[in-house]
Amino acid sequence: MKIFSLLKNDTWIKPYLTKYGKTLVLALFLGFMTFFCGGALMFNSGYLISRSASLPENILVVYVPIVLTRAFGIGRPVFRYIERLTSHNWVLKLTSELRLRLYNVLEKDAVFFKDKHQTGDILGVFSDDIDHIQNLYLRTVFPTIVGWLLYAVIVIALGFFSWFFALAMLLLLGVLTILMPLVALLVNGAKQEQQKQIKNKLYGGLTDNVLGVSDWIFSQRGQEYVSQHDAQEGQLRAVNHELKQHENLRNLLVQLVVAVVTVVIVCWAAFQFPGNHGGAANWIAAFVLVIFPISDAFTQIPGAAAETDIYQDSLSRLNDLSTDEAPTKQETVADPKQLAAGLKAPFKLAVNDLCFSYPDGRRNVLENIDLSLEQGQKLAILGRSGSGKTTLIHLLRGDLKPVSGQITLNGVPVSDLGDEISQFVGVIHQAPYLFNTTVRNNLKIGDENATDEQLWQVLERVGLAEMIRQLPAGLDTPVDEAGQRFSGGERHRLALARILLQDVPLVILDEPTVSLDPVTEQALIETFVEVLAGKTLIWVTHHLQGLSLMDQVIFVEDGELKLNGSPAQLAAENEYYQKLLRIDRGSF
Amino acid sequence: MLDKKIMEIPGAKQILSLLMLLTLLQSVAIIGQTITISRAIVSLWNGHPLSAQISWLVWFVLLYLLRHLCIYIKQQRLDKFASQASQEIRNKLLEKVFRVGPEITQKQGTGNVTTMALEGIDQVEDYLSLSLSKMINMILIPFVILIAIACFDWKAAAFLLVILPVDVIFMIILGYAAQDKADKQYASYQILANHFVDSLRGIDTLKFFGLSKKYGHSIFKTSEKFRKATISTLKIAILSTFALDFFTTLSIAVVAVFLGLGLINGTMLLYPALVILTLSPEYFLPIRDFSNDYHATLNGKNAFGAINEILDYDEQLPEPQELPQWDAASQLTITNMQHSYDQAQQVNQFDLQLHGFQKVGIVGLSGSGKSTLINLLSGFLQPDQAEISYNGIALDSFKQADWQKQLIYIPQVPYIFHQTLRENIVFYQQDATDEQVAAAVETVGLTDLVADLPDGLETVIGEGARSLSGGQAQRIALARAFLDQSRRIILFDEPTAHLDIETEVELKEKMLPLMENHLVIFATHRLHWLNEMDQVVVLDHGKVAEAGSLTELKQADGALVKLSHAMGRI
Repeated sequence: MKIFSLLKNDTWIKPYLTKYGKTLVLALFLGFMTFFCGGALMFNSGYLISRSASLPENILVVYVPIVLTRAFGIGRPVFRYIERLTSHNWVLKLTSELRLRLYNVLEKDAVFFKDKHQTGDILGVFSDDIDHIQNLYLRTVFPTIVGWLLYAVIVIALGFFSWFFALAMLLLLGVLTILMPLVALLVNGAKQEQQKQIKNKLYGGLTDNVLGVSDWIFSQRGQEYVSQHDAQEGQLRAVNHELKQHENLRNLLVQLVVAVVTVVIVCWAAFQFPGNHGGAANWIAAFVLVIFPISDAFTQIPGAAAETDIYQDSLSRLNDLSTDEAPTKQETVADPKQLAAGLKAPFKLAVNDLCFSYPDGRRNVLENIDLSLEQGQKLAILGRSGSGKTTLIHLLRGDLKPVSGQITLNGVPVSDLGDEISQFVGVIHQAPYLFNTTVRNNLKIGDENATDEQLWQVLERVGLAEMIRQLPAGLDTPVDEAGQRFSGGERHRLALARILLQDVPLVILDEPTVSLDPVTEQALIETFVEVLAGKTLIWVTHHLQGLSLMDQVIFVEDGELKLNGSPAQLAAENEYYQKLLRIDRGSF
Repeated sequence: MLDKKIMEIPGAKQILSLLMLLTLLQSVAIIGQTITISRAIVSLWNGHPLSAQISWLVWFVLLYLLRHLCIYIKQQRLDKFASQASQEIRNKLLEKVFRVGPEITQKQGTGNVTTMALEGIDQVEDYLSLSLSKMINMILIPFVILIAIACFDWKAAAFLLVILPVDVIFMIILGYAAQDKADKQYASYQILANHFVDSLRGIDTLKFFGLSKKYGHSIFKTSEKFRKATISTLKIAILSTFALDFFTTLSIAVVAVFLGLGLINGTMLLYPALVILTLSPEYFLPIRDFSNDYHATLNGKNAFGAINEILDYDEQLPEPQELPQWDAASQLTITNMQHSYDQAQQVNQFDLQLHGFQKVGIVGLSGSGKSTLINLLSGFLQPDQAEISYNGIALDSFKQADWQKQLIYIPQVPYIFHQTLRENIVFYQQDATDEQVAAAVETVGLTDLVADLPDGLETVIGEGARSLSGGQAQRIALARAFLDQSRRIILFDEPTAHLDIETEVELKEKMLPLMENHLVIFATHRLHWLNEMDQVVVLDHGKVAEAGSLTELKQADGALVKLSHAMGRI
């Protein structure tokens, strides 16, 4: 079974079980006690009324059962309450560990993550996976272990009365606690797999078509799609129907076993406790009544087992993730920190005969690139999508290593600088990410020790001070999820302010102005150039707006430099550039 | 307690009566099961042999099974009912979404709509199959059992009758108090819960700032804070379950003690006492079941509400009009077409005159109303008021099937379906022949792409498969337009804004021939397109600032010239 092989090679659950072992044992013990008290209450009550019915001379004879009845009556809910808190507490502690682990795994690859997984919110998916593991514990693992504990205790306890009967119960209750869960796993496993696949297909298909809803409407084929979807949904309904039927049947069978257990216990008790109006016969009612509250602990196990399939995906996804967790070999000669400390202004960036290709790629993504940038120079990189612009940026930051050739900052290869590169190179993206916290915290990412005065200063420089001042809570205003409170232009300005605080000598702008209108774009570019004066600027763009503000323009095509020169020079001499310029400006 | 909308579902009344009938039978079986097992136990207690109990035990097993058979049948029928009902709701929802379109998806978010149609309706299905039976169990079973208990001992019945409302009231009071407190903690709880996803999404930004390693500690710290917040919320949130549990088990304990005392005094016999003791947990069981699943069904209930909201969404369908095919002599006059968004102060108001196979360029800054105008023209947005004359036929909106079926709409990023390239191209013209498709591929310049793809035209493209560049997506949109020559009106909504300049130049060459013999409405902020337009409309703050041929507007030295200066500081 898949779930077993998954658990065998798992590194996301097993190692943590021992970590908070005491709390785990406590949670399981409390879960056990909940059922124990429930059973004991009925056991004790059954004895109490039987004993009372045999008309004892003295009420003190039943005094102990009376007190116990109350104790168990109170004990059950109290244990249950504490058990829920303890088990949640344990699971959440585990979650903290898992989150840290997930974060650390993803952090290694952070820069390329979005490139690798283009579709969907893969990061959201991982975070959901961790929630699934929480549920795996609370809804499957705990109830099953508690049920097994109870099973073991009952069989051992009955062993004191009769070995033979204990064996009978071992087998009968084994049907509920072991056999039926296994059958449920086997029978449902394949169906659930099928259910999941259809569901994923439906999900993908529906998302795809809802995104393209305008085309369905314009082509007047909307109803066609709905019936198409319903047909697919029909397959899912058939599978669901089968699964539900299994579930209902399973519940019925479970109850059949409970009925048999009851009859067997009555028969056994009749032999074990013979008596007439009392005596040993007082125990008969006790042993029979205890079945009903206790059986709840067993009847939930097959259902819990049937659910495990839901967690398989999450488990295997997380475990797959950690297979590439093996530390990447760092062949750095020197300590990045020392290297970084040795670098002093002015900074000169040099690219010598750079070639790069991805390990699986057929051709070189970049070929024989030579560039040299003095401190304060402004370079624009143009090129079509897929021409290697983004790769070049990764190389400049040292996130990728050249196959041959070198990129050096004052003679030091940038890839040797490791994480220290963030002291020298800042990046502003097409869609700068703002964290769902206050404006202040978002800015402080640039410099954790920045004072309010400094914050206002940079806001002033990027032209946002006025706007932020008018916000209800000023710097403490939350930016809302993904910075939705602000417009595209404003988000870019906040990102710029952050970079200013970071105070790096070299800034890479990766198409920061795409999807802005030309006037906003122009204003933004002017701000960028103005406030970043003195820093080396590398600006990736896809059209000519704002290009005249740059010192040097290069065109990348198929991994090679096609044009290279200052904007003025290109405008005067290069025919191709002139043509683009003409088109871009229009004819007036 | 019960949603009125549930009763409107076809078959709901029948299933309810069936449920009631079976639940009554189930209650009788519960009582019978208790009586038979008690008979057997008491008889054994009295010293009778086991062999004399066989018939009681057989009856016990039969009644016990009858009880669970009732549950089985109820669940089977409910599953069927819920499955049919959810199918119907899902189809209604999708029909609505695929009829009304972006109006709904933009307001609700695409992700939301899909989640609603799939998971949301699954939750509704669970809600329907769980809540109905639990509700009826709660209404019927305790009272039937109470009557049975009263037959044996009215005092115990009276005690149980009195304790039930106390039980429920305590649960509700504690529930409310807990809710109140939990709500207060919820805000901080939510922030902490989202913090993790937020950090994962921004992980590259953290890396760029060299903070990503350090941030791991913060993740752990926040997660621990989250744990503490959750536990303190939970402490209170599960109080009401605790109260219910507490009163239930305590009541059973009290009943047991009362029964014991009655027996000692000789006012009661073992048999009735045993029946009452065994029935008491059964008396409380339905309400415990109901409260246990209450939170699970809450999701379904909320989803049901959200779906009904969409289903009740007013489509504002105008009277359908028969419109002739647009041709070289057609005339469209739009007078005083007004629209304003809910919260925005700007009222957009448009007057336009279009005729024949004109090419009309629409320019203006962000927020000038370009997109609003295009959305109004496509019929996806309803004007607050408008006088529209289409060849003399009066309309008050463009949400007309006869208008929309003549349109080709090409947005900034055309949507490419997760289908084969061929299926994407023939989307509007399903019966296109291979020759026609080949011609379209040739015309829009997709030949290279087709050659590059492993299975040529039959390669699956789109989200999650081979993704295309913006230029390629535009070419596919153009191919769709080329294939469907019956559509004579093309709406372009900034089709080249995302493209690099070189691709734009190549694409322009392909687009211009396609525009011939069409009414073209072209919204853009790339001014070089205006050279190709017959009419230029300049929008400013939601109004038409200027309209006329390019030459006229250049001479007028008005809004267009000002705009081109603002944009032209290259």
